[in-house]
Amino acid sequence: MSLRYVGKSEKRVDAVEKVTGAAEYVADIKLPRMLHMKVLRAGVPHANIVSIDTSAAEACPGVHKVVTGQGCDILFGTCLWDQPPLAEGKVRHAGEAVAAVLAETVLQAEAAVKKIVVEYEELPYVLDPLESVADGAPVIHQRNGDYDRVDYVVHPIKGTNVFHHYKLRKGDLDRGFAESDVVVEGQFEFPLSSHAALEPHGAICRFGAGGDIEMWASNQAPFVLRDVLCGMFNVPATKVRVRIPFLGGGFGGKSDVSIEPMVAYAASKVPGYAVKLVLTRKEVFTSSLLGRGMKGRMKLGAKRDGTFVALESAMHFSDGAYGDTGWPVDTVAGHNCTGPYEFPHVKSDTYGVYTNSPPVGAYRGYGHPEGQFMVGRLVDILARKLGVDPAELMRKNFLSEGKHNALGQKIKPSHGNLLACLGEVKNAVGGRELPAEDERYLYGRGIAAMMKSPKMAANASSTAYVQANSDGTFFVNLAGIEMGQGCQTVFTQMAAEALQAPMDKVKMYADVDTQFSPWEWQTVASMQTYRGGRAIAQACERAVEVIKANAALVLECSADEIEYDGEGCFCADNPDRRLAVGALARGYMYPNGLTVGVPVQATGSYRVAGIIEPDPETGMGNAAGSWTFGVQGADVRIEKATGKVEVLHFASAFDPGGVINPQTCRGQIVGGVVQGMGAALMEKLQFNDKGVVKGANFGPYRIPTVSDMPKEWTVKFIETPNEEGPWSAKPIGEHPIVAVAPTLLNAIQDATGVDFYTLPVTADVILEHLKEG
Amino acid sequence: MTTINLTVNGVHHEVELETDRVKLVDVLRDRLELTGSKVGCGVGKCGSCTVLLNGEAVTSCNLLARKADGADIVTIEGVANGFDLHPVQQAFIDTGAVQCGFCTPGLVVRTLALLDSNPSPSDEEIFGALEKHLCRCTGYEAIIEAVKLAQQRLSA
Repeated sequence: MSLRYVGKSEKRVDAVEKVTGAAEYVADIKLPRMLHMKVLRAGVPHANIVSIDTSAAEACPGVHKVVTGQGCDILFGTCLWDQPPLAEGKVRHAGEAVAAVLAETVLQAEAAVKKIVVEYEELPYVLDPLESVADGAPVIHQRNGDYDRVDYVVHPIKGTNVFHHYKLRKGDLDRGFAESDVVVEGQFEFPLSSHAALEPHGAICRFGAGGDIEMWASNQAPFVLRDVLCGMFNVPATKVRVRIPFLGGGFGGKSDVSIEPMVAYAASKVPGYAVKLVLTRKEVFTSSLLGRGMKGRMKLGAKRDGTFVALESAMHFSDGAYGDTGWPVDTVAGHNCTGPYEFPHVKSDTYGVYTNSPPVGAYRGYGHPEGQFMVGRLVDILARKLGVDPAELMRKNFLSEGKHNALGQKIKPSHGNLLACLGEVKNAVGGRELPAEDERYLYGRGIAAMMKSPKMAANASSTAYVQANSDGTFFVNLAGIEMGQGCQTVFTQMAAEALQAPMDKVKMYADVDTQFSPWEWQTVASMQTYRGGRAIAQACERAVEVIKANAALVLECSADEIEYDGEGCFCADNPDRRLAVGALARGYMYPNGLTVGVPVQATGSYRVAGIIEPDPETGMGNAAGSWTFGVQGADVRIEKATGKVEVLHFASAFDPGGVINPQTCRGQIVGGVVQGMGAALMEKLQFNDKGVVKGANFGPYRIPTVSDMPKEWTVKFIETPNEEGPWSAKPIGEHPIVAVAPTLLNAIQDATGVDFYTLPVTADVILEHLKEG
Repeated sequence: MTTINLTVNGVHHEVELETDRVKLVDVLRDRLELTGSKVGCGVGKCGSCTVLLNGEAVTSCNLLARKADGADIVTIEGVANGFDLHPVQQAFIDTGAVQCGFCTPGLVVRTLALLDSNPSPSDEEIFGALEKHLCRCTGYEAIIEAVKLAQQRLSA
């Protein structure tokens, strides 16, 4: 049967609210008896708190309460419990919260914050992850190694600033390099950066008179947040209710718990009042979560014919003041640093290191861009050394049927077709001659391949609920967070397809509320369409079974003989006697009121089966549930006078299995590539000489604008059928960002002859090299 | 305490300001409950708070409210006619130019101002107008298409 809604560019179901300004984000919510919160930030990167005097602030007009971390004694986390909601005893980064004022208005709270007096005993600080692991580095957490943790997955090194060491050992590295004819290596840097979702983080929390906790938050993981709040206040899940309004972009920056524990702790001091905090943009940079921050080295050994043999990598992540949000990124960076290539011998060490920067968490790509930046560049360097086309080298070593990735998992054809992706990109950017250098410009072409697998809890699941209404419409409930990626729209398309009902007869619940929504692990790892879609498909199939069973009672035949077409049911041998879905939705009621059957409702769920955490000794195991492969290529020109890089053409080809909505899927690719261009060419969080983030706003921190966009786009999808995804759809949201930096740096090398290893490669950096050249 | 007069989306308001430092966007959002204008940066760099002030597109997050005294303002809430979307809004939907939606109100208002003052802008003029806005989701491709589609429909 041909598909009616899946595979079509259906209009977004949430678009009208968004273009009219009616969409309600957390900052737009006003509650009765709502206090506004403003936060005093440390201003020094590492210090003991000697004293805090809040008396003058408490006396300010409109102030209800000033809250500090003194005596708080709560550490929150999900796998590593190392962070207090407000600094207690010491501050570990300059943006850390030291005190919070709760007042009637924002301006009153701001004025009172200025009256708080804190005395610090300043300590030496460290921002660089390599300096932080060196002898004599300041110890940022005296209790590192003693904090509560899930010890199968978090591996601290006591007495150091390393709170997590993930090691991968596949094959025999020494043998691998002994068997290699050619070796290339490099030292790389992927700086700290900001997700820069346009909506700043916000949260509102209210403690009821009976101790119930309500929270509204800009967060991608409401059920995780609920569990964290339960842990903080030692209350059962039944006492905590988390709601997620419209979310103005996440990119992982809202997938981890960040400001919410602080807002909740403050709210716990004023029961009956709602407490609202919306970060300023400056605070998003200094006091929410950052991404990346990797210093690494990688060494690749190959045979003379280009066959890859061995890969060694060591990465140090400057994960900032707290580690719970960083460790899983570090693990993933480690076991995915091979990119989409087979290496018989791999040794990879990844260190999550405490530093005195804001904490680092998930950021679109989740460790993959960091590790694959290195391998993507080394493949290009190796190709030049061997005198072969990089595409040939890639082709020779791609993960494909029967090969094994770094975790030891065996690749099947249904996992994706890298060769077809490579072919598309070669056609797109290789199909035309690159112009020769002219008076004004240098020209270059680069290519890189990628893979990404979702990092998930082994029990990560989606659950869905479907209900039929008496007018023949359906409600579908699944707590995937719509943060712009379009999951509400593709869920509606998939439900409509499975129910064979028109899109406008299917309504996804727009509100996510942990009290009413079926449990959802969290909206991360590009898995919502893939995992949620399977849950929805199952729930819809089961709902149809109930509709058919109800019809069978009335039509007096077996359910197997009932035909269903989205509008209603009939018995195969008597198509003229039809019963509408609406007439069956609550069971079937005869004219005299006698009712048979049951109300039509069904649930579904999906979990990627068989996932286990990596073995603590080898780092291997069935930790990745799925892969999406892709290849990217670019033509650039570089203005000799300024060093400015212009992307003339950016081509991407991915194999996400099935594409549910071509328009939103293309939107993910184009948006992800431009975000990746920011990382490659312009974005880096800077600190001043006192260890404080500087230039913490748009402007000084430049992200791509419309003028930075590539002049030409190619976006291609290879759709390899598979058993995993709903209508074959697999993860795609993060993937377009992964290989952008190596693609562009390879192109810049082609243009300038210079191999860059440190991001971002700004115009100034290029100009400097051109002058030297 | 300063009191200002504003006409917003055709409705007259008299607003007392808490202090002289209150920004226009805070009056719109907090006092008049017109929360469609978004605050993404607070310094006029992201464009999410863009409104029409006497017909000109301005960022309302870095404009002191008292400087808008007497002004005629159109916010995103004043763009549609009841349930009928403005062609600019419809074009943003049709081209897929909306993702998270946080930058969308400002971009819609900017596009409205651009096409009002210049019914057939060149590519350079379109880029010049959109350059004042940040969008982290879309990569801008669909937004440019939306502006062009709106321009075609409005001039048809």
